Formats: sequence, structure tokens, C-alpha cells
Amino acid sequence: MDFAVKFAFDILAFTSVMVLVVLGLGVIASMMGIFNFAHGELVLLGAYTVYLSSELGLGTWPGLLAAPVVVGLIGLVLERTIIRRFYKAPIIAMLGTYAIGLIIREIVRGLLGGHYKSIPEPIGGAFSIGGLEFSIWRTMIIAITLAVIAGIYLLLARTSIGLRVRGALENPMLARACGISTGHLYALTFTFGAALAGLAGALIVPLYQLSADIGIRFLVQAFLSVMLGGVGTFEGPVIGAAAVGSLAAWLPWVVTPVLADPLVFVIALAIVRLRPQGFITVGRL
Amino acid sequence: MLPVIELAVFAALVVTPFLLADRTDLITLVTNVIILSLLALSFDLCWGFSGIMSFGQALFFGVAGYVVALVGRDLEFSQLWATLPLAMLVGGLLAAGLAVFLLLGKRTPSSIFVAFGTLTGAYAAERLVAGWQYVGAGNGLSAIRLMAFGDYEFVEGVEFYAVALAALALVYAASRYLVRSQMGLVLAGMRQNEERLAFFGYRVQVFKALVFSFAGMIAGLSGALYSYHQGFTGPSNLGPGLSTTAVIYCLFGGSGTLIGPVIGTAAIEVLSYVLADTDAIRQFWPVILGVVLLVVVAFQPSGLLGLLVSSRERIGSYGARKAVR
Repeated sequence: MDFAVKFAFDILAFTSVMVLVVLGLGVIASMMGIFNFAHGELVLLGAYTVYLSSELGLGTWPGLLAAPVVVGLIGLVLERTIIRRFYKAPIIAMLGTYAIGLIIREIVRGLLGGHYKSIPEPIGGAFSIGGLEFSIWRTMIIAITLAVIAGIYLLLARTSIGLRVRGALENPMLARACGISTGHLYALTFTFGAALAGLAGALIVPLYQLSADIGIRFLVQAFLSVMLGGVGTFEGPVIGAAAVGSLAAWLPWVVTPVLADPLVFVIALAIVRLRPQGFITVGRL
Repeated sequence: MLPVIELAVFAALVVTPFLLADRTDLITLVTNVIILSLLALSFDLCWGFSGIMSFGQALFFGVAGYVVALVGRDLEFSQLWATLPLAMLVGGLLAAGLAVFLLLGKRTPSSIFVAFGTLTGAYAAERLVAGWQYVGAGNGLSAIRLMAFGDYEFVEGVEFYAVALAALALVYAASRYLVRSQMGLVLAGMRQNEERLAFFGYRVQVFKALVFSFAGMIAGLSGALYSYHQGFTGPSNLGPGLSTTAVIYCLFGGSGTLIGPVIGTAAIEVLSYVLADTDAIRQFWPVILGVVLLVVVAFQPSGLLGLLVSSRERIGSYGARKAVR
């Protein structure tokens, strides 16, 4: 029983990380129809912000708070200068964002000098319930993930910005005819997605060591999650991420880890092949 | 203009060994260029000619490389008349299998799904191989048995160069025949308007699957030659990293033409060789590659060749010119 609870907690923590990474990706993919290959590098930049602030002697907290803002602004600049050229051609957008990701990743690799850096958890230690130890920071990640999901849902469902976003998603042409500037909305969406990536990077860096490849390790899983859940919905990517995340955490217990890792991808791809519209099809945003 | 460029490139490749006979390092470099341009060519057949964005060409390249390495290790056999066709068979079958899974079926898959499918395939294969002891896990396979013909063994040098160039020439001729045939005409139509071709009754996905399998054969041949030439193969030879490098070769040279990938590979590999002496630049070489890709994608989609050749000529014409009666 103890083991089961602990195991469930670990799966939940890993799934939360996946959801955080996937949310930003899903928002951008739903709204503009492009899959952002540079998303992993935006996560990396969030992590790097935390590293910088702790290097400067400020501790990790200022970096943690600044990460979404900094990465969001970088996202805004990228969208205004480069990404907006690619909206009409999703495949070309993959190549373009891949190039941006490559540039960011290799610059950061150069700055880090190829070393792995460990960042201490902003709130270390553990608390115990009924004799079981739970890491405080992982619990924080789960809580923040839930808060972010709730916040985005409220933003989309209850505010006028959310209404405009839903309108532009449903029918961009009609939205433009109604006087909604889809260009601004796309810039806003991309900034928001990038900020989410920055937050994800800042939150997960204490769990994994900081290296230039911290973002890319989640990228393929994140893409599959978005496709699995269904592009164009809010719940889809979250459910997809939960499915892929728990599959990735659970499968190594069933088959040998060597085989489990690739098997996650094959299973997810096979499901997408059989159900290309994703899990969620009714009640699109 | 295009045939002139093609002739010039092949003439340059033929005279190279005579000019550089005493510079083994440069011969090795150009041999590498020839082998990698086969990989770039196979990507070009997918993207430039049939509209499949393949982020997984290295999968066929790498698996074929591993197969010839294992045949050399476990069967102690490396006769090129058998292993190179075997590599092509492996690459072709693997690509055909992937194409059946990704492309064929009742529902037409979206181009994004196909792109992710190839990416995922390469990524999963890299992770699998990196953890599999039988194939050397993360260390890969080194000291691969030398490619042989009868008793003669090919080491790096002019003889290996000749084999690689012969392979490139054969593949190039076959691809040129393919894209200028009636099937090539269908492919050109698909590039213009895929839906319309489908309404005409062409099974668009079947054509794509055929070209994809053919490209897989070429990638397999390339991978086998690469393994023999390097004497080493590792997990990174079948991952998305090398696949995207092939994408950069092809787009930089000019996709949608057959000579473009060869020129792109040569340009990038030679540039990398020249710049590798400077430490500061070598460290940021991937950044330069990224900038090149970004500039090409955003501003010059027809690549280097687009500067020389008009788009009318790139698209080409089909059939013999006949007087209209």
C-alpha cells in the first residue's frame, strides 16, 4: 500500500511536469496550427534564467518569478520577427522553429561550457503523512500545475480575451471580419505559450540537472501528447500529456527499461494513427 | 542551365582524385561528401519530389549501417556485391514498412502526422539502440570489417572514392530517370495540387509510399558505405540529429532538384572542414547551421541552386517535344 501511494505520487509529479511542458505547446498548436520545435529550448531558457539568478547570488526565487516574463518576452520578439512568416505553412514552420531551437540550444551549450549544473530546490526537504515521505518541491509542482490549468481554463471560458481567442480559433476569417485583430491575438498566444514554457523550465530544473538538452528530452513526448489529446482543444493536450506521462512512468516497471522507452513512442504513435482526431472531439473550444 | 551544372559537378567529382592524389585527408573528405549527399538525395526525393517531410532518413541510413557492421562482425562477411544490396534491401523494406503504417490506410493522414511519425521512428530507434548491449549500446560498433571485393579490401582512399562515386552516379541516374518518367509527372502534379490528382483517380498515398521506399533504399546504401568508410557506427547515426542535418544539406543546396542536395552537402561539409581549424568557430558551428537553415527557410526556399536556375527549369518539362499537328 505504501509503495502504491509513493508510486502514484511519483507518476503524478512526472505527469505534472509533462502537462506543464505540453500546455504551452498545445496552446500554440491549437491557435496557429504550428508545432513549435523551439519549445524545448524555451523550456531551457526558463531553466537558464533560474541558473543565472542563483549564479548572481540572488538565490533561485527571483529567477523562478522572472523566468515566465523573460521567456515570454523572448517569445514575443521571436513571433514578431520570424514565426509570423510561417503561419501559412505548418511544415516550413517546423523547419524554421527547429532552426531557432538549434541556435538557442547551441548558444546556451556554449555558455554552459558543456557542463551539467545542479540547482538546489527552492524549498527543499520533505514532509510526511502517515509515515510516508513526500518531497515538498514535487508537491509544489503538482499544485502549481493544477493552478495553471485552472487559471487557463478560467481565462478561456470566463474572460473577454478568452472569448476572442475561442472565436479566432473557431473561424479566423470571421473573427477578423468582426474586428478582432488575429495578428495581435497570435502574438499574445505565442507569448503566453512561451511564458508557460519558461515557467515549466524554471520549475523542473531542480529535479533534473541543467544541461543544454533539458528541453529536448521532453519534446517528442510533448508533440505526441498534443496529437494524442487532439489539437484545437484545451483539455486534449492535458489529457494527452497525462496519458503519455503516466505511460512513460509506468511502462519501465512492466518491460525492461531499454524496451520501455521506445515503446512509449510506438504506442502513442499507433493510437494517433488509429484516432487522428485525438481523444477529445466534442466540445471544442 | 541545370544539365550544365549537373555535368560540371560530376566532372569535378571525377577529376578530384587525380588532382588530390597525394592528399589522403582531402580524398577522405570528398568521399564523405559523396556518401552523405546520397543521404541528402534520399531526403530530397521525399520532400522535394513527393512532399513527405521526413525527419527520419537517418533511421534507414543508420539501421543499414548497423546491419553491415553486424554482418561483418558475426558472419565475418563484407563482400560489397552482397552487403551493399543487402543494405539497400534493409533500408527499402524498413521504409516501406514505415510508409505502410504512416501513409496507407482508409483515412489520409495529415502531412504533420507523417512528419512526426518519421521523427518519432528515428527518435525511438536511437533510444532503443543506445540501450541495447548486442549492438554495442551507447558506444556503437567500432572496427567494422573492411568492405571487400574478392580478396581486395577497401580502406579510405582513391579506391573507396571510386566505389562511392559509382554508387552516387548509379543512384543519380536512377533518380533522374524516375523523376522524369511518367511517374515523375504524377509526382509533379501532386506537388502542385495533391487533392486534384486524387480526384483524377491517382492513389496519391501509394505513389508517396513508393517514393519513400525508394528513398529508404538510397539511404540504406548511403549508411552502409558510411559505416564501412568510417569503420564505426553509433546510435547518433540513426537519430533525428543526422536526419535534420540531411534536411539542411538538401534545403541549402536546393530541394526539388536532384543536383541541389549534392551541392548543398559539398558546400556545408567543405565549409565545416575549412572552419574546423578555428576553435571559436568550431564550438558554434551548430549555431551557424541553424542560421543557415533559418535564412534558407525564410528567405530563399529554393536554396543555392535557386540563385542560378529559374523555377521554370527546376520544375522541368515532361516527355519529348513533338510538333503539334
